[in-house]
Amino acid sequence: MATVQVSEAEKVYILHGIRDDLRVDGRGCEDYRHMEIETDVVSNTDGSAKVTLGHTAVLVGVKAEIGKPRPMIPNEGYLEFFVDCSANATPEFEGRGGEELGTNLSNVLYKVFSNKHSLDLHSLSISPGEHCWVLYVDVLLLQCDGNLYDAISIAIKAALFNTKIPRVNITSDDEGGKEIELSDDPYDCMRVNVENVPCIVTLCKVGHRHVVDATLQEKACSVASLIIAVTHNGTITCSRKVGGGSLDPESIFEMTETGKRVGKALHAPLMKLLQQEESLSKKRVRVGFLC
Amino acid sequence: MPTDTKRVRGPDVSQSPVLLGYKPAAVLASRGPREDGRQRDQVDVRPVFVRCGLVSQAKGSAYIEAGNTKLISCVYGPRETDRKDETDMKSGRLTTDVRFAPFSCPERVPWIQGSQDKDLSLMLHESLQPAVCLQRYPRSQIDVSVMVLENSGSALAHAVTCASLALADAGIEMYDLVLGCSLQQVGSSYVVDPSYLEENGWRCNSSESRGGLTVAFLPSLNQISGLQSDGEMSEETLTAGVRTCIEGCYKLYPVIQKVLTKAVRRAAPPST
Repeated sequence: MATVQVSEAEKVYILHGIRDDLRVDGRGCEDYRHMEIETDVVSNTDGSAKVTLGHTAVLVGVKAEIGKPRPMIPNEGYLEFFVDCSANATPEFEGRGGEELGTNLSNVLYKVFSNKHSLDLHSLSISPGEHCWVLYVDVLLLQCDGNLYDAISIAIKAALFNTKIPRVNITSDDEGGKEIELSDDPYDCMRVNVENVPCIVTLCKVGHRHVVDATLQEKACSVASLIIAVTHNGTITCSRKVGGGSLDPESIFEMTETGKRVGKALHAPLMKLLQQEESLSKKRVRVGFLC
Repeated sequence: MPTDTKRVRGPDVSQSPVLLGYKPAAVLASRGPREDGRQRDQVDVRPVFVRCGLVSQAKGSAYIEAGNTKLISCVYGPRETDRKDETDMKSGRLTTDVRFAPFSCPERVPWIQGSQDKDLSLMLHESLQPAVCLQRYPRSQIDVSVMVLENSGSALAHAVTCASLALADAGIEMYDLVLGCSLQQVGSSYVVDPSYLEENGWRCNSSESRGGLTVAFLPSLNQISGLQSDGEMSEETLTAGVRTCIEGCYKLYPVIQKVLTKAVRRAAPPST
């Protein structure tokens, strides 16, 4: 993980500030940094999104491929997550340096989606036991400035919203053989229902309080954080303590409560924004890719 | 995907027959007593068998058995660290490794450490780290390894307990023991210390929402060092679940303490 050096005096400054609900960049304890979301950014994907949160930048591409369903669940498709920590983000990620962080992040994503309502996996089935859609969700970290989990989950939600899966027809001949036929019309596609896709909220325990969307400096002052994945109706699909320290049970309960409140409030504006961008479609003026 | 060429790995593609004829609905009722006769909605953990110091080469070791879940844990070190480039040399390094024996689960598990094992290793690391006085071991490394011999549910929770016991048996300075407990929520009821079927049956079963929760707890400091949940839970059930797991840990505490004192007595008999 990208790290910054924070001196003792700076730590005390940050800690005292947070105690008085005032953070170094002027935010309150439950405020996010400025966030930018752009969908449909990479043409070769079936759905893509770019999210910048402060100086954290994440690019997500979704590719749909036809695969064989898992034997235990023949009538559902599945998702595959892969997080790539590019060496652009920090030199530490060069070679295999980012691998560990990448697997950690993707393992959390599998956990977040390991329930029946996050995504309707039945809709990804083509023919039970034989073919299904496999959605490869590839996350690329372009820049790290803390709070990767939140940025990634928002980018995934946006990318899945943007995903267009081509419609297929199954024709069977007289001998019972089946053939998959792809629709000729490029606009004839299926959309994924992302209403229940959760967003992750990371809460960093700093001193006696906890903050949402911590920067790297603030993260350096905290011993442990709690990540909570919350859907739009407040269901928690994953929670996890990360970091080297331990937490008091009472503060875990407080943090869960805050996480739920903040996470719930995140969904409505996000969906509104995504729909607004969708309606612009061709009229949207594109200036540069990353700026 | 790295493969181990020195082992005979069997055919590339094969499937366990268990997967094809999988019918969990018959065994998993969400009501009534549990399969093994324990009570639902109560802190009814399986009785455990625990023993310390059974691997003589290791600095410390522990074995735990809860129902059919069997784990063995070994601690090596403190020894000189492998990684010389680590910037922080003031405190020691703790490494954890969780592995499933290939025959531990109904389906065969490959020898190569998969992402699930890596995830469990990380969880174990985060659960143990707050309890170990790492600043007492500068420039050194402590290796903890856990082997799951048989997985009958709640492997992570028992791995945490077993590993902390092995650390204590190795004489590593610690603030507290770490105890693990897990819980499975099925609709409005819950089962503590779930078995393998109770833990994994949710995929195919009815429409009830399910969630799993594992808590690692430091009993005398009253701190939670590890928390993980998946599935679907409301805030209330999660909070209640954490409380239940803490209660489960307290049930385990006297047993672990007793085993530890027994091991210490055996190692150095009181001179009277």
